[in-house]
Amino acid sequence: MRNVLATLRRLFHAVLLGLVGAGIVHIVVLLLVPEFSERDAWSRLSMASDLYRMNRLDAEAGGAPVVKSVDPLFYATACRFDLEEGMVRIKAPGNVPFWSVSVYDRNGHNIYSFNDHTATGGKLDAVVLTPAQMIDVRKDLPEDLQGAIFVEAPIDEGIFVIRSFVPDDSWKPIVSRFLDQSSCELQDF
Amino acid sequence: MLKNAFLMLLSLAIAIGGGGASVWYALKIQDGVGAIRIGQWTAFPDIGTPAADPYSKARVAREGVLALGRAEGLSFVAENDAAGDQLKRECSYRIEGGFPTARFWTLYAADQSLGVVETGKPRLAALQSYQLLRQADNSVTISVGHHPMPGNWLLTDGSGRMYFVLTFYDTPIASSTGLSDVSLPRIVKAGCDA
Repeated sequence: MRNVLATLRRLFHAVLLGLVGAGIVHIVVLLLVPEFSERDAWSRLSMASDLYRMNRLDAEAGGAPVVKSVDPLFYATACRFDLEEGMVRIKAPGNVPFWSVSVYDRNGHNIYSFNDHTATGGKLDAVVLTPAQMIDVRKDLPEDLQGAIFVEAPIDEGIFVIRSFVPDDSWKPIVSRFLDQSSCELQDF
Repeated sequence: MLKNAFLMLLSLAIAIGGGGASVWYALKIQDGVGAIRIGQWTAFPDIGTPAADPYSKARVAREGVLALGRAEGLSFVAENDAAGDQLKRECSYRIEGGFPTARFWTLYAADQSLGVVETGKPRLAALQSYQLLRQADNSVTISVGHHPMPGNWLLTDGSGRMYFVLTFYDTPIASSTGLSDVSLPRIVKAGCDA
């Protein structure tokens, strides 16, 4: 009898230890998922295209969307950049009913966003740069950057996403052209 | 000796198996930490921001989502109707009520992965606020179902679980202070195909 009780107690101990361990494993795994994920937005985009290349996120451009997009009434495009190589300038010509822009860091966290109401005349012209690069630019602002929106981001690698609203079918070619003509370039300074 | 080894193995199995499975489960369920519920609608205003909780961060990394920013918009997802039943693609629903302030909003019927429901027709299972008919008091009634309906009609098709995704763009409610007194439309079941 005593022997059985002792065994049971040890079994109980083992299960309890296991549960405490499960809690620790839970926390460790949870915190490691973002570090080791190969399915995050950056990894998917890097499989699809190079740095400074605009890459459509919606299925309209053919093939399965690279990053699970968004709203069916929206088209979107994204490019990856690395601010260590210099500041990056994003431009898109033309007028569409609504566009919005987000800057994400390497982990896919949204660090800055704005929409067409923020821009001068609704034109999409933005520069992403680090605070250190901003200090340099401030000293002597080039003429052609006068109207641009400056996004100061304390990151090196990042993702820039443009989303644009497609109210109905007649807007599809216009919005498609807007996104296809958008550019994402390393800006010399 | 053998018993000790067995107990140690048991502890390890519970720790690793239980820990892994619980993370997997926590990331799989739609509901979660940081959710804001308004009626049947759930939003995660912090998801995809550096201020998000570890569960949201893990979900963002695992699913590769690029969440909408605060200046872009805010998405709400509904998985139940007003009676608390799961939304089904073979049923028809009425979405009625007022909508909070936004430049515009979109509504679409989604499948399990929150992609838009395939209708097999040129008409998308999606609506946007510019194309809607409104009541005199500015409220909106939307009929959802497979069969055409007068007024505002959101086409769905197929069978199985369904979600509604309602996204407000360029809206003051995306800043967290605005979320406290927002009211969203009700989802009422109108009937089901047998």
